[in-house]
Amino acid sequence: MHEFSISSEMVNTILDTAKKKNAKNVISILLEIGELTLLNTEQVGFWIRELLKGSLAEDAEINIKVIKAKIHCKSCGYKGDIKQNQKDFFKHFCPQICPECNSFQIKVEKGRECTLRKIQIVK
Amino acid sequence: MDRKGEKMKILKSNGEIFDIELEKDLLEKNRALAKENRKRFDKFNLIAIDVMGSIGSGKTSLIKAILKKLNMNGKIGVIAGDLTTDIDGKRILEEGARVVQINTGKECHLDAHIINLAIKKMNLNGIKILFIENVGNLICPGEFPLGAHKRLVITSVTEGPYMIVKHPYIFREADLIILNKIDLAKAMNVNPSQLEKDAKRINPRAPFIKTNALKGIGVSKIINILGLKS
Repeated sequence: MHEFSISSEMVNTILDTAKKKNAKNVISILLEIGELTLLNTEQVGFWIRELLKGSLAEDAEINIKVIKAKIHCKSCGYKGDIKQNQKDFFKHFCPQICPECNSFQIKVEKGRECTLRKIQIVK
Repeated sequence: MDRKGEKMKILKSNGEIFDIELEKDLLEKNRALAKENRKRFDKFNLIAIDVMGSIGSGKTSLIKAILKKLNMNGKIGVIAGDLTTDIDGKRILEEGARVVQINTGKECHLDAHIINLAIKKMNLNGIKILFIENVGNLICPGEFPLGAHKRLVITSVTEGPYMIVKHPYIFREADLIILNKIDLAKAMNVNPSQLEKDAKRINPRAPFIKTNALKGIGVSKIINILGLKS
């Protein structure tokens, strides 16, 4: 739902950076989006493409890398994937229990990113 | 996104190619600003509460009911978020609170930056409790912490029996879950205990309170849980 505002923010950053660096055009863009964010990558890609129309980044290749979730359990020290946990019904949205010890004391270490990682420009 | 045919690209420009690392995390930026807001709240020694909930669930009515019960004229601030109108801000003004109205226009949520601007507009001196009424939405606000000490989520029986189970993220983030319009449960053929079970399954740590905000029922419990005192 907030893909539009996030995408606008990204496009602003892309175009500002390109201008500051005196780019003739932008040829590629790399984004990283964590799988636990509520962002739909298809929609983000669509909006960025739309918002870049008519700009110097119009033809840029848009790459979106989905970052897998990683959790760290403070109770048992488990570090890793969330997907193994079959009991946790909501694991895809918001992991809440450790797949090893079922503790609630987990910290999400990866999967909440929404990062504009890199752009490639031509000068 | 259809990227077929984009795999190979012939660059016609004869300029030099540069990689620019940005490492700009947009959600992280919001989280950092939220921390800044929290510091400001702490400086004024006030407790800030983010009131999230669905459209028409009773966010403003609940805030009004709490204000009425606390009866702390002038010591409570409310930042009222709404897409386009100042209806909610005016409703809260009636209870004698300091109000800053924010209109988000097309945005579906408040973010830490908007709150940062709003708290600069409000005189926080003497404010003990600051309510931040989020935009009515059970999806986006969950992802944008504002810096509040407590986040509560309110939903109501008139939204049907599946509201909680359909929006696990926001309920998981909540410190307190409120089911409003409890007096209408029978008429709506909604079972409040089932909603409570759903809430407990998603977020066993958050207390679950049933209210009728218009009549003030359940409001004292909320005041106790949030540690608000007049």
